[in-house]
Amino acid sequence: MTGVTSVASLTPWHRSVLGTVVLYLHFVRLAFLKFLAYRLRYYTGVVSYTIFVTGHYYLYGALFASRVVEHGSMEGGNLIGGLTLTEMITYVAVSWIGRSFYFNNIHRDLSSMIEEGGISLQLIKPYHVQDVMMFEAVGESGFRLVMFSLPIMVVVVPLFDISGPPDSMLYLWTFLSFCLALVIYSQINFLLGCLAFHMKNIQGVLRAKMVAFDFLTGVILPFTFFPEWFQTIVAWLPFQGISYVPVTIYLGKRAGSDLVWALLIQLAWSVGLYLAGRLVWFISVRRVTVQGG
Amino acid sequence: MSTTEIWRRGYPGEFRRQVRIFGFYFAQFVKMRLAYRMDFFIDTLAVSFSSLVQLVILATLFSKVEALRGWSFPQVLFIYGFSLVPLGLFNLTSINLYRFSDKFIIQGKFDRVLLRPLNTLAQVMFESFNVSGFNEIFLGLGIMIFAGMKLQLTWGVEDVLALLILAPSASLVFTGVFLGITSVSFWHEDRMGLAPPVYNVIRFSRYPITIFGAPVRFFMTFVLPFAWVAFYPATWFIGSPEFSRWAFLTPLVGGIVFGGAVLIWRRGVANYASTGS
Repeated sequence: MTGVTSVASLTPWHRSVLGTVVLYLHFVRLAFLKFLAYRLRYYTGVVSYTIFVTGHYYLYGALFASRVVEHGSMEGGNLIGGLTLTEMITYVAVSWIGRSFYFNNIHRDLSSMIEEGGISLQLIKPYHVQDVMMFEAVGESGFRLVMFSLPIMVVVVPLFDISGPPDSMLYLWTFLSFCLALVIYSQINFLLGCLAFHMKNIQGVLRAKMVAFDFLTGVILPFTFFPEWFQTIVAWLPFQGISYVPVTIYLGKRAGSDLVWALLIQLAWSVGLYLAGRLVWFISVRRVTVQGG
Repeated sequence: MSTTEIWRRGYPGEFRRQVRIFGFYFAQFVKMRLAYRMDFFIDTLAVSFSSLVQLVILATLFSKVEALRGWSFPQVLFIYGFSLVPLGLFNLTSINLYRFSDKFIIQGKFDRVLLRPLNTLAQVMFESFNVSGFNEIFLGLGIMIFAGMKLQLTWGVEDVLALLILAPSASLVFTGVFLGITSVSFWHEDRMGLAPPVYNVIRFSRYPITIFGAPVRFFMTFVLPFAWVAFYPATWFIGSPEFSRWAFLTPLVGGIVFGGAVLIWRRGVANYASTGS
């Protein structure tokens, strides 16, 4: 009797912590390689981001020029939302350079995986889809940093004479802040992708997201352009941590404890959204029905 | 177009046959959409929300100044309203262009298109519609009427006629640009292609072109001719002595851009090699 049970019992499946780390790091590398295959979009992307900064350069140039005409250059006539024109151009450039780094399409990848049934294959594998997507996003952003953000910087910085931050330590803090932005952005995208578990067609939501994000994260306009009540609302939302926080760090608008506080808020949102993603996944994944997979 | 069919029916007959069939495509699509009414509702909300965000941005800019390089808020608002009409017309039929490389090239669905005795481009464009385009059209008309009241414009028969000519021409510019980009996926099977970055440029098309420097003006007029989707045609209504005489070049620009794109498309179709799936 005892002999029989010892033969039939299987060793419980186990993976060491190191094994888990190595597994997920693999996805970073794979994503990096995958995007190397899609180079075309980055060549054109450099052009299009440059167009974008150029467009805003002229738009804000016109705005500030018209402001000075109407108000005179004294008594803050040359300030809009607390920024000078030079700061405003820097704001736009750093926003878009940052966007070229943290951007990803987790929401689209996940939702099409759910709609087309590919999700079933993901569910039987010994990893968590949320973590895989996060690490793939890290690999993608690593690729973007080298192949996309750096070339954009090389073009945009001399073209519009973008100045560095007031203190060179702020380069480091800005980069750290954009890394946290990557986590926040990816986790919000993951949550949006999970909507596909509950809706047949989420194209409309994804379209609205595209517009809403650039607006709510502060990429298009700094929050100080808006009325007080709007600033209060966005201060309580996670989106500020994607662009507004890192860019204002770069501009030196957050010093000392303000800087630490801003980074801590980003960190808190990163963790909070990650946990929310886990929870939503746990609830949603039970609804999956795949026909034949 | 199949040569045998033309031989049998002649061009007008063949055209009528294809129009009738694409009518059925649309009917089929409507039936499909009615199955998911909730999604339609959410789509509508999403489009309205996007437009609302754009309006808020415009209003915020104009809360800082009375006029932007001499252009008043109602004038810029009118240009924005106009831009939504061609954009809506374009969005109605463009949804398959946007996902063309993914759906037709990589998944090999284009084989099926080639087997049918129907125009390939029309099959791709009319297979699916984006009804939320109607939303943009109506919203755009509403904004134009509102801004027109602020500008004290009077709408005559000739204005309505001008709108009926200029708005579809402007949407040909959109369709042409994106069709050209889509056709590139016959050679490069990149999943997302060039469309998203160019799509981003659309938002500059709604500002008066005079706020930009000469290189950008040149670029938006001749290279990526998005100045023709809103600014040039809209100046005809808001009466700009400098620009309104250019407005009626819009149909010509639309024709050239769309015609050029169709040529690229044809070469692409000839170049198409199935993935075999």
